[in-house]
Amino acid sequence: MKSVLLRELKQNLKLLIIWTLAIGGMGFYCILLYQSMQGEVQEMADMFSNMGAFSDAFGMSTLSIATLPGFFATEVGTIHGLGSGMFAALASIGILSKEEDRHSGEFLLALPISRSKVVTAKALCILVMLVVFTVVCGLFYVGGIAYLDMDFPAGDLMTYLVMQFLMNVEIAGICFLISAFSSRIKMGLGLGMALMLYAFDLIGRVVPDLKDYLFIGPYSYANASEIFSQSETPVLALSLAAVLIIASITGAYVCYNRRDLQS
Amino acid sequence: MMENVIEIRNLTKSYGKARGIIDVSLQVKKGDIFGFLGPNGAGKSTTIRSMLGFLRPNAGTVTILGLDSRKDHEKILAKVGYMPSEAWFYDTMRVSDVIKYAADIRRMDCSEEAGILCERLKMDTRKKIKELSLGNRKKVSIVCAMQHKPDIFIFDEPTSGLDPLMQRTFFELIREYTDHGATCLLSTHVLSEVNRYCKTAAIMREGRLTMLDSPAIDEDAFIRFYEDEEETV
Repeated sequence: MKSVLLRELKQNLKLLIIWTLAIGGMGFYCILLYQSMQGEVQEMADMFSNMGAFSDAFGMSTLSIATLPGFFATEVGTIHGLGSGMFAALASIGILSKEEDRHSGEFLLALPISRSKVVTAKALCILVMLVVFTVVCGLFYVGGIAYLDMDFPAGDLMTYLVMQFLMNVEIAGICFLISAFSSRIKMGLGLGMALMLYAFDLIGRVVPDLKDYLFIGPYSYANASEIFSQSETPVLALSLAAVLIIASITGAYVCYNRRDLQS
Repeated sequence: MMENVIEIRNLTKSYGKARGIIDVSLQVKKGDIFGFLGPNGAGKSTTIRSMLGFLRPNAGTVTILGLDSRKDHEKILAKVGYMPSEAWFYDTMRVSDVIKYAADIRRMDCSEEAGILCERLKMDTRKKIKELSLGNRKKVSIVCAMQHKPDIFIFDEPTSGLDPLMQRTFFELIREYTDHGATCLLSTHVLSEVNRYCKTAAIMREGRLTMLDSPAIDEDAFIRFYEDEEETV
């Protein structure tokens, strides 16, 4: 199992480096932008906070982008939320199905390793990648904040990163299950799903009738504006996330163990 | 009496409405080189893939080295060397890395045997998989199937893509391993390979298996199997 895990990590290293540097770097650059915008941002903040549903959708009605936490939550929060969700989907949507899609499954599964161990190694690979991604992006953000030398709620940043990580695990879990079912890499489906979940959260915050159903999507509990404005912990959304993660991973084991392998 | 190292009983596998294999039973004795003949789509690969656990049969049992193919799947694979008809690996890996990766998963140091095999098959282990022709990928597959000196070899159309010299080397290797007690199940289209190297043989047609009295079958009779299959398709 260790060999499969190491092989997967090596194979996915480029994906991890590119996405981590891209998202972390963009977030870092965005934080540095705050300094240059600080003088003019107050006027912009007033305008953005009075745009009704649009302000709600991006959290600008609860937080002022004139402050660093508010600016971080609205700008970096959007980049990291969307980027990390897409990364989680990309990392997991083909991790099992690629063995059949690229015809290497017969080589791997003719070796003395059970399908369960293959699933475990690949799930661990995704988990390691998501941890590294979150930690490195977090370091970029901490670096940017430290460079500005301004007050910042460290606890909220930590909560935000943990929630984002959980959201990434949930998206990765669903994509992992799809990967276990499929014998083809469904890259479009994975990316589309991450974008749709993001759009669902965005629309849910604009359309009043949808607000009660926001908890279904993983972006509901990982919303930067709510975390930085110390809203209540979304227990229902987190409970549903836990159920979905467990069900997806269990489903992946069951499905991958039972189905016929395509040559 | 020699022991059966492979025992298949009433194995059936269907793909929805499509036929796979029907009620296949066969025994392969220790030290045998068993020829497994049949036209394309007759069910040879389905039988092999069911034996190795890639497919879940609808009915029947497979016992390999006295172990149940479902319960003792990992233990069986530790003692089997399998070469699929299409030799696919990870494109970006080097040949040496693929061979070592297979040995690592087996938790064995097979470097000595792998080195001997690579030399006999004249392989350049520094090349990347994506740079290799089908024949050279087949050679990598042979090394991966043989380097751990398994008790049973299962080869699915092993010589397609190999040049005549390598085909000869391949059969020399099989002979050497079987002389030391290994058993070989060889699925092929090439009648001359069965005539020359196999001790027993069976032929598959339309998902059903028929044991042959002797592997030395007449070429005209053999071709008739293919013609009959063509007519029924």
